[in-house]
Amino acid sequence: MATTKQAIEVSGLHKNFGRTAALSGLDLRVDTGQVAGFLGPNGAGKSTTIRILLGLLKADGGTARMLGADPWADAVALHRRVAYVPGEVNLWPNLTGGQAISILSKLHGQVDEQRRSQLLERFALDPSKKARSYSKGNRQKVALIAALSSRAELLLLDEPTSGLDPLMEQVFTSCIREAAAEGRSVLLSSHIFAEVEKLCDTVTIIRDGQTVEAGRLSDLRHLQRTEVTVEVSGAAASLAAVEGIEDFKLSGTTASFSVDPEQLPGVLAALAQYSPRNLVSTPPSLEDLFLRHYSDQVPAPVTARGGGLR
Amino acid sequence: MTTGTAHGRHAAAEHLGQPATSARGTSTLAGVGIAAWFILRRNWLRLGLWALVLASMIPIVYDSQQQAFPTQQARDAYAQVANTPAVAAMTGLPYAAGSLGGILVIKIWMTLAVALAFAVVFLVTRNGRADEEAGRTELLRATALGRHAYPTANYLVSAGLCLLTGLLISLLCLSVALPAAGSWIMGASIAGTGLAFIGLAAICGQLASTSRGANSLAVALIGLFYFIRAGADLQAEGMAPSALSWFSPIGWAQNMRAYGEDNWWPLMALAFLGAAGCLVALRIDSSRDLGSGILPERRSAASAGPFTTTALGLALRLQRSSLIGWFIGAAVSGLFFGSVARSMGTLLDPENPFARNFVGTGHSMLDGVLGIFVAFNALLAAAFAIQCLGAARSEEESGRLEQQLAGALSRGWWVGAHLLIAVLGSGLMLLLAGALTGASSQGAGDPGQLAGACLAFWPAVLSMLGLQLLAFGFLPRLTTAITWSVYGLSAMAAMFGGLFSLSQDAIRLTPFGAIARVPAEELSWTPLVVLVLISLVLAAAGMARFNRRDILGA
Repeated sequence: MATTKQAIEVSGLHKNFGRTAALSGLDLRVDTGQVAGFLGPNGAGKSTTIRILLGLLKADGGTARMLGADPWADAVALHRRVAYVPGEVNLWPNLTGGQAISILSKLHGQVDEQRRSQLLERFALDPSKKARSYSKGNRQKVALIAALSSRAELLLLDEPTSGLDPLMEQVFTSCIREAAAEGRSVLLSSHIFAEVEKLCDTVTIIRDGQTVEAGRLSDLRHLQRTEVTVEVSGAAASLAAVEGIEDFKLSGTTASFSVDPEQLPGVLAALAQYSPRNLVSTPPSLEDLFLRHYSDQVPAPVTARGGGLR
Repeated sequence: MTTGTAHGRHAAAEHLGQPATSARGTSTLAGVGIAAWFILRRNWLRLGLWALVLASMIPIVYDSQQQAFPTQQARDAYAQVANTPAVAAMTGLPYAAGSLGGILVIKIWMTLAVALAFAVVFLVTRNGRADEEAGRTELLRATALGRHAYPTANYLVSAGLCLLTGLLISLLCLSVALPAAGSWIMGASIAGTGLAFIGLAAICGQLASTSRGANSLAVALIGLFYFIRAGADLQAEGMAPSALSWFSPIGWAQNMRAYGEDNWWPLMALAFLGAAGCLVALRIDSSRDLGSGILPERRSAASAGPFTTTALGLALRLQRSSLIGWFIGAAVSGLFFGSVARSMGTLLDPENPFARNFVGTGHSMLDGVLGIFVAFNALLAAAFAIQCLGAARSEEESGRLEQQLAGALSRGWWVGAHLLIAVLGSGLMLLLAGALTGASSQGAGDPGQLAGACLAFWPAVLSMLGLQLLAFGFLPRLTTAITWSVYGLSAMAAMFGGLFSLSQDAIRLTPFGAIARVPAEELSWTPLVVLVLISLVLAAAGMARFNRRDILGA
């Protein structure tokens, strides 16, 4: 196995569809053996990036390397070492799920029969039914089983759990943990923050085809601030002046603010003077971080015409 | 004032609380108007084109026939010789060949009626089974639309296309001053054929669980009824319709006899068949689960064998049922052509200029007839090849190609697998159809020679595939439209070019017109070589582009 330090290294990637720019200078790094989260709202360019990495789309600019090779020129050789799960799995309606798994996993190189039957059992999929009769979740399972039963070094997962029930999501989580333990690299594009927080070592957040935040989950600056909500007896307005308190908001006797962990002792000491009756402190979530990057985006207006048969 | 408000409140509460009690709300047809409007919105261009193209054939063919038979004398002479088995088998009994109206019926009626049947079959499937397969019906059913509203709207819009086409045809016939009674029957009989096939297509859409299956089943029915009436017209004595003709709705419509007896009553039978078919379909629709067909799903293989997991194996497996269907079709038509060749050849009058024009300047009438059948076999094989390679584009369109190319499969191998099936399949089909035409011809033609004669059309088939690959590379979304349009035009030019006043030289420049029809003509190698070279260039350019372009979804 020819290992390179980076499983995926993308910099300044550009891709246009006609006049629309899907990617405008995207950067993405996945270190070998790591699970990388890839976050962004619909249309931000996650799937486009993954399709470029698979050699299905040709980049208009920038560089992309995967497992040390060129994803466009070396597509076929690379795909023996890569497995892919799309967010929208389309299967041959007249073949069974089991046949589709055989075909897809064979296309990814070696097939591990034992692993395949284990996965069929864990994901509770009946492989002898025609794909036509499968629900979205079952189609997703087919692609997951095909990808996970291969011996790929790198898993490209594009919203792989869409349509899975919570039980199956747990199965998926443990499968990815096992894959990571085996030293495989994973790129996980997702909308589910809990999933990314549970599984990923690093995270890349993109917006409008550009990277806005990237790094180890534990290192992300904004993730280090603690949100505090406190109910005090007296007037709390003067709290705003306490050193270390930011984003201060006050409603009645309830104050909320964010604090850098290093300044927490000082802030707590200052708080004591206000005789707090109730205090809640929450570590900031990935969701807060994500929303921070998108909160200034005006949501698209819902038009009244959208309700009919159109 | 107070009472008014209370009354208003009461009315509002009633409106909010019990909207479902109104007649419109509970009927299984609730919302049929909206559904019809929606279908029209999605299909107006398609509907308009079908109606316009079909109707516009009337003035074009009328003009060419008026030039071919300018005087009553010429028409009378034609009427003496018009009743040949070829004409009877292909377009029906020439019961009024002595009038321009009757000649118009001979030349174009069958084409228009069968084309309209195809149009409604595709339309009914498109807005019926195809929507259901894609899950769009589910979305609609979940709204306040009655259970039967959408299918009923589908049938009504299709019926609208039939009536519009018929009306346009009648008006155009009237506009060239053909007799009024016959002109109305002309439009009505063609519209009636369409109406009958709406009912049949509706039932097919209930039986099959895929749009492809529904289309194949309905097209097979068109073919079956066409052959039944061909047999009926071949065995008819004189101009009286044979009893067998009543076993085919196309036969019923023929028996309306525009510009002849001008019968209205078979139209009732056609409309009844259409309506009855739709009612049966609606009945089945309400007794089955959404998304299912009538045949229950079977359990089958839980894994794929080693061959199916290869690119070629998968392509073959996906096309298996289609391949079987096409080869059966080619075999049946080959046998049919052979079995009618001798009777057609001996009955054709060599002195008749029309017959000469139709079968070409061959050695004998029999050879001329065989030559035509060879060309028909070739057109069938070409249609097969195009449909076969078209599967490649559907794999891309459906998103399934992405998952395959995400594996260790090169684009070249993948297209190559599909191409190989189309190329070898069409070659085999040509040999089979030719050999069977010869074998069933009671000695009129030699199976070996006819197989070779059919195979000579392989380069023309390949040129269609080359064009298809070129389109697939450069204009993937238009591949189907471009290829089938060129195929349709080439087929028309080669088979009926004379009818549209195309010169022989011009016909020789079209793919199917370029190739000599053995045994009627001497085989010339030049066009074969040129066509193969053109095919190679087109295919290479298309492949090169496909290797470089983005993979596109729908």
